[in-house]
Amino acid sequence: MIDKSILRFPHIKKILFLLTGITFLQAFAIVGQACFLAAAIVGLWNGLHIDSQFVNILLFAICFCARHSAIFLRERILDNYAAEQASSLRKQLLIKIFCVGPQVIQQNGTGNITTMVLEGIDQVENYLHLTLSKVISLMIVPWIVLLSILFFDWKSAAFLLIIFPVIIIFMVVLGYAAQSKADRQYKTYQILSNHFVDSLRGIDTLKFFGLSKQYGKSIFKTSERFRKATLNTLKIAILSTFALDFFTTLSIAVVAVMLGLRLIDGHILLYPALAILILSPEYFLPIRDFSSDYHATLNGKNSMGAISKILAIEEEKVEQQDLPTWSSESYLKINALDFGYKNEPTLSEVSLKVKGYQKIGIIGLSGAGKSTLINLLSGFLKPQAGQISVNGIEISSFSQHDWQKQIIYIPQNPYIFRATLRDNITFYQPDATTEQVHEAIRVVGLEQLVSELTQGIDTVIGEGSRSLSGGQAQRIALARAFLDKKRKILLFDEPTAHLDIETEVELKERMLPLMEDHLVFFATHRLHWMQEMDQIVVMEHGRIAEQGTLKDLKQHNGSFIRLSSSVGRL
Amino acid sequence: MKIFKIFRNDSWVKPFLGKYRKSLCWALVLGFITFFCAGALMFNSGYLISRSASLPENILLVYVPIVLTRAFGIGRPVFKYLERLTSHNWVLKLTSELRLKLYQVLEKDAIFFKKDYQTGNILGLLSEDINHIQNLYLRTVFPTVIAWLLYIFIVICLGYFSLWFALVMLLLFAILVILLPIWSTIVNGARQEQQKQMRNQLYTELTDNVLGISDWIFSQRSLEYAEKHIRLEQKFQKITKAIRNFNHKRNFLAQLVFCIIAIVLLIWTSQYFPGNHGGSANWIAAFVLAVFPLIDAFAPLSDAAQETNIYQDSLIRLNRLQDEQTKRTLNLERNEKKIVAPYTVKIKSLKFKYPDNAKLLINNLDLKIVDGEKIAILGKSGSGKSTLANLIRGDLTPTEGKVVLNQEETYKFGDKISNYIGVIHQAPYLFNTSIRNNLSIGNEGASEQELWDVLERVGLKKLVVELPDKLDTLVDEAGLRFSGGERHRLALARILLKDVPIIILDEPTVSLDPVTEQEVIETFIKELQGKTLIWITHHLQGLSLMDQVIFLEDGHLEMSGSPQKLARDNRHYRKLLAIDQGF
Repeated sequence: MIDKSILRFPHIKKILFLLTGITFLQAFAIVGQACFLAAAIVGLWNGLHIDSQFVNILLFAICFCARHSAIFLRERILDNYAAEQASSLRKQLLIKIFCVGPQVIQQNGTGNITTMVLEGIDQVENYLHLTLSKVISLMIVPWIVLLSILFFDWKSAAFLLIIFPVIIIFMVVLGYAAQSKADRQYKTYQILSNHFVDSLRGIDTLKFFGLSKQYGKSIFKTSERFRKATLNTLKIAILSTFALDFFTTLSIAVVAVMLGLRLIDGHILLYPALAILILSPEYFLPIRDFSSDYHATLNGKNSMGAISKILAIEEEKVEQQDLPTWSSESYLKINALDFGYKNEPTLSEVSLKVKGYQKIGIIGLSGAGKSTLINLLSGFLKPQAGQISVNGIEISSFSQHDWQKQIIYIPQNPYIFRATLRDNITFYQPDATTEQVHEAIRVVGLEQLVSELTQGIDTVIGEGSRSLSGGQAQRIALARAFLDKKRKILLFDEPTAHLDIETEVELKERMLPLMEDHLVFFATHRLHWMQEMDQIVVMEHGRIAEQGTLKDLKQHNGSFIRLSSSVGRL
Repeated sequence: MKIFKIFRNDSWVKPFLGKYRKSLCWALVLGFITFFCAGALMFNSGYLISRSASLPENILLVYVPIVLTRAFGIGRPVFKYLERLTSHNWVLKLTSELRLKLYQVLEKDAIFFKKDYQTGNILGLLSEDINHIQNLYLRTVFPTVIAWLLYIFIVICLGYFSLWFALVMLLLFAILVILLPIWSTIVNGARQEQQKQMRNQLYTELTDNVLGISDWIFSQRSLEYAEKHIRLEQKFQKITKAIRNFNHKRNFLAQLVFCIIAIVLLIWTSQYFPGNHGGSANWIAAFVLAVFPLIDAFAPLSDAAQETNIYQDSLIRLNRLQDEQTKRTLNLERNEKKIVAPYTVKIKSLKFKYPDNAKLLINNLDLKIVDGEKIAILGKSGSGKSTLANLIRGDLTPTEGKVVLNQEETYKFGDKISNYIGVIHQAPYLFNTSIRNNLSIGNEGASEQELWDVLERVGLKKLVVELPDKLDTLVDEAGLRFSGGERHRLALARILLKDVPIIILDEPTVSLDPVTEQEVIETFIKELQGKTLIWITHHLQGLSLMDQVIFLEDGHLEMSGSPQKLARDNRHYRKLLAIDQGF
């Protein structure tokens, strides 16, 4: 009943041992509580004075408190244990995510990852807590209670023992019936429940077509349909709870009537009968508790699976090599690089030779493989075949510590953290001085922005606070590059594709000086950048269609000319 | 308490309470009966056993308790089942009303809604808020009201036997029903508030840094962040622990109160129902045993009460939404006149600024767009292009000057403007339904043939024919089944079905790659031939197909003219053109 994955948690044996002990204590307290209460009532029924029952009442109170102290203790122990496990799991997960990097995020989506780290692990914590407490009490309490009932009267005990599996069978059968009905309705259900958010998202479109007012009726109608569908499912879904409820309550009634009839016949005395009556709800309590939290545990189980999956991802160990700092004398050779997602080649036989502070333009239409090439150069992707050598040192991929620490990567939408402008600019150089920051701001032309910010460079920017335009984000990325003088390799991935033409022109003027004394890889489909490049690589369908200087390519009537006529002369 | 204050000024929950009063009452009554049956079952059984033990001469003397025991035994689960159905039914009815209301509130300024809230998932949040209100009822309001009903019932019943004892019970139960819930709400309220804020902080920070993960990796500072997050998380855990510890202690205390109630009942009944081997002493077991099933009704009250701290925000957010809207002045002047072709848009010394902002977004603009003209509006982001489009469509009211369509000011048309001006957006929204339904938004009466014709015109016929369910294929959420270019073509098809004389294209192709963009633009211009076209764009691609180009800067005209004339006479334009084309 306890999932195997739970048994893998550290120190679980000790906890299980401790919990078992506490639960036994609790079970005995339950029995004691019932017996002493029954004794007190019987005493009074016999016409004794309340004073004579003082000991029984006191013992009842002690057992009652002992029972709830046991629960209190159990909860405290489980709280601590589950919280401890959750935080260690969270730590492992975070480190994994930030080490394995973008791959995991791409596969799972940002939203899912954050939900997993925060809510997923909470669910696991809850799961651990619930399963351990509920399963253990289910395994101990009913049976101790049953044994004590057996001690008083074997017939009642036999009845209660037989009814137990009946309840479970009914619950399971009805549970399955409900599940299959819910599954059948799932699709319509899903559409109906998403309909509302869908309508809200498209509300401006409805307005543009002048339909928004009358659409309210449709919202209401769909919502009402949703209500009816939900109720239909609910009618079946709560049947299994109903069955549990029905059998347990009815069993108590049956036991009561049975005892009553046997009392009349004089087959049993009041004291045992009363004790049995008080104990029989306790016999059913653990199973009721267990089933009420069943759904919460299901979520936890699923999260647990998802988390273990990520934790199981093995970081590919790339043999790290000492690479020299890139200088005007360095050279890089790439030969016959292949890369593909799921056996579909996206890049094949890419070969390049680069020397010193050259500027390499990578041009092509979208889907031609520009971004993939940049991702290979940054080390985010690893080639499936081919050779790479830096200054004659052979490496299997660019995910080399010594290579990545020299890179500045500027994508189409540079990410701006929700932090101060200063922290954003000094991201790669946290120790930069205020003067240096101001100089960077001047160089990339961000003075205008700074003057608009209420607290200057210490104003918080980014999502949710002051949002920036695409051009401003690019300038911040450039400022990062400017501050970090040690990084000599610049990778640009369509940095200006989404900007308006005038902003692009302004930005270009700021970018060009920064590219001096750097090795630059510049992927774009905007042709005018090619004038500034020393070498041009024309990509087509994942292959290098042509490469050379602008002059060469213009003379040669090939892919470059075809590309410029389809892009440039539109 | 805060929640009461919020409730007093609430316009989201209160108005609906009266609406389905009958089913609300049923839900509460059924809930009451459920617990009544549970208590009565033990009461009856206790009596039955005691009575039987006094060896009645005739079984018929315990016949009534026997029947009642069975009846209550069956009654409890049945009523509970019915109660759950009734309460869910009521809450879902309420949900339908709330959704309609939320929709209507948002509909009033649908055009600006998304801009006001930028990217944050406010829509998801708002619809989540409505679910929160559902839970507020199911998990807090219903259980609390039912417990109160039981409380009143118990005290009145005991009052029948003994006034002073009823008073004792009134006070003891008050600890469970009033004292503990209020105490937990106050003590944990502050902690929950802190917890919620830290939670939000953790959420936003984690999302922020996961999105920026490549920078963390390149800067080789990843572990630095992981450690920072874990430190914050530990603080969060500390608060959670405090809340839990409090809950455990409080629960223990509540159980202690039940223990005292049981003992006090035992003492009282022993005095009130004295007997020897039965007689009135048969009632002792009845009264004492009835206490235990009631624990289920009263024990969860404190947790339920402190949950209100969680729902508070939802109520505040929904109520604030409406306040903000009522502040915006809604123009009620309406123009009912029909206008006929030719349609001419005239903009006369137009100025516009938002009331809460001094900056003029449109500054003294004059423009005339004649029927059938194709005009492009260019400018940097923030130059006022989109504001101008909103003014032309009449979604905004000019601060000074006029925007008229055939002598009538556009903002006075209200929703009727959609008969004259259509809009295609940067990200055309496709609803998560069939292609047919998405197209029908343009014209609900369109025939099958018309739909296919229009798909052919926008170049999608082949694609749709090959889909498994043809026109009835679902477009998947937000139209993800289709590529960017295809989505734009569907949006165009919708506009063509609507057949309006003036079309505003608001940077429709900005997210497409240049080749697709060119194809889409060509389709647009070809199919919209003869209509007035107002095209907002930020680059030069496709401009040569336009009759007039205007450049906006800081809300006024920077330059204007036909593309050919500008290319010939304007140096700035020539420079931009040269850059755009490469060499």
